[in-house]
Amino acid sequence: MLLAMSIGVAAVVVLTSLGESARRFVSDEFASLGTHLLMIAPGRTETSGGGPSMFAGDTPRDLTIRDAEAIGRSRLIDEVAPMVMAQAKVSWGGKERETPVLGGTASMRRIRGWTLAQGRFLPDGDPERDSGVCVIGSKIRRELFGPRQALGEWLKVGDRRCRVTGILAEEGRSIGMDVEELVVIPVAAALALMNRPGLTRIMATARSHEMMDRASEEILAIVKERHQGEEDVTIVTQDALLATFDRILAALTYTVGGIAGISLVVAGILIMNVMLVSVSQRTAEIGLLKALGAPRAQILRLFLVEATSLSVAGALLGLVLGVLSRVTILYFYPALPLTWPIWAIVAALATALAVGLGFGVIPARRAAELDPVAALSHH
Amino acid sequence: MIELRQISRDFEVGDQTVHALRAVDLEIRAGEYLSLMGPSGSGKSTLMHILGLLDRPTSGTYELDGKDVTALDDAAQAAVRRNEIGFVFQFFHLVPYLTAAENAELPLVLSGVDPAERRERVSAGLASLGLSERADHRPDQLSGGQRQRVAIARAMVSAPSVLLADEPTGNLDRSSGSEVIRLIEDLHEQRGLTLVIVTHDQEMGRRATRQISMVDGEVEEDRDGARP
Repeated sequence: MLLAMSIGVAAVVVLTSLGESARRFVSDEFASLGTHLLMIAPGRTETSGGGPSMFAGDTPRDLTIRDAEAIGRSRLIDEVAPMVMAQAKVSWGGKERETPVLGGTASMRRIRGWTLAQGRFLPDGDPERDSGVCVIGSKIRRELFGPRQALGEWLKVGDRRCRVTGILAEEGRSIGMDVEELVVIPVAAALALMNRPGLTRIMATARSHEMMDRASEEILAIVKERHQGEEDVTIVTQDALLATFDRILAALTYTVGGIAGISLVVAGILIMNVMLVSVSQRTAEIGLLKALGAPRAQILRLFLVEATSLSVAGALLGLVLGVLSRVTILYFYPALPLTWPIWAIVAALATALAVGLGFGVIPARRAAELDPVAALSHH
Repeated sequence: MIELRQISRDFEVGDQTVHALRAVDLEIRAGEYLSLMGPSGSGKSTLMHILGLLDRPTSGTYELDGKDVTALDDAAQAAVRRNEIGFVFQFFHLVPYLTAAENAELPLVLSGVDPAERRERVSAGLASLGLSERADHRPDQLSGGQRQRVAIARAMVSAPSVLLADEPTGNLDRSSGSEVIRLIEDLHEQRGLTLVIVTHDQEMGRRATRQISMVDGEVEEDRDGARP
């Protein structure tokens, strides 16, 4: 029963802590992308009405490399990176692998903050030109080349060939793509490979965080001018994305914490049972206390205090358990920014206290209402 | 001074009503030594429970020192039990995991006396009953007679004016039984305690100055040795 209470409290603390940490992790990750980021996607997202096509013609116009260049010329924009995402077969020396292929430009690396383990990234220059080079992730390098030198080799991507000029450093995952498995080719090559005219995204960074709103308006204006008066793009800012993730993860944290809270109620019921057994075992003693002049209120208090101490003892044990599991988790996943939300600890302790009091009432009342004559003759 | 007027106590047993006490009138003067005798089911124990405020009468009034205690609420009745009435039971009713001294201390703990004074009163009480050596023993390390003496110490520690003893020797051998009785009688004489003993034992009952025999919930005989 003490165990049940402590597991309940530990669960609440650890799970909310994990939820909180996930939230932190995501926001840190977003922050690492830079808070000046604007993502421009083709197509208009309407919050009402029958969808984009009703207002913007049959299909939205494609976003082109020229659109990206036009956006890049704005004074408010620092860097701009046209982007195409696809899956393609990548092969070398008879080994083949299906992997995400990203069409990008030199600015891509600067926006994403990627670093290279070896070689160079895509060269600066006209994004409309296919320079015939590519940069690969470390996992792809390992899987295709093994111990051999990859730099300078000709890699086949889809039906095109490119020379490997760089290998991306292992830096884990950045939102939405696994850098280790990525093959980056020039955006023009990617468009040709996919045989389509439109970009998947344009990523742009504003010169400062304060300019985000204005930059966003200006991009809309630029696109509208270039697309015959249609605002057929959607701009998502870093903040908006972050806020959405934040809301989702916060809701998740509360849900998980709530579920863990249910275990506290179960623990409370166990405490109630223990107390009821204790009351019936000590019936004669309770009768004696009454005979010796303990009023009903005093006996009630006595048993409430006992139930509460039980649950608080369990809760403290649970905190210790929580600390231990935190240490264990950190031992295995040192990168996880595990936090202790104070509110979670306070809430767990308060719930334990309330549960002890709440479920202690019934047994305590039973003890207090015992008839002393009957209680004394009970053996 | 105890005054019972028209005290009745009915119990519902199944769908029958059992009249444990039928309109009992009884006056007990302060400092009296009284024995309650009668066969089982005669109502003597019920009468004692009512005297000790462990039970409420179905009807009638009970005045203790001129105060109607039947009308009091639970907390006030508990206070009367704490301050005015001492109990000694047939089965001792000591708390098994407390020492003799701690058991004797219980009523003082309940009335919130501070620890230093508690210790003083308890050790004086135990000493007067010849239990000083046994103060740190738990009940299972004591003989029956010693246990009952601890119970007496507990009953007397808050200096009550009435001592109610329910078959105090019922669980003791002859010699420790008579020792316990003598101790109780000494307390009665030295402190002017009102003493009520419930017993089956004719011989013990006859030691009391006033002997009351009960049958079927009524006082059958009231022999008062002090009043011819």
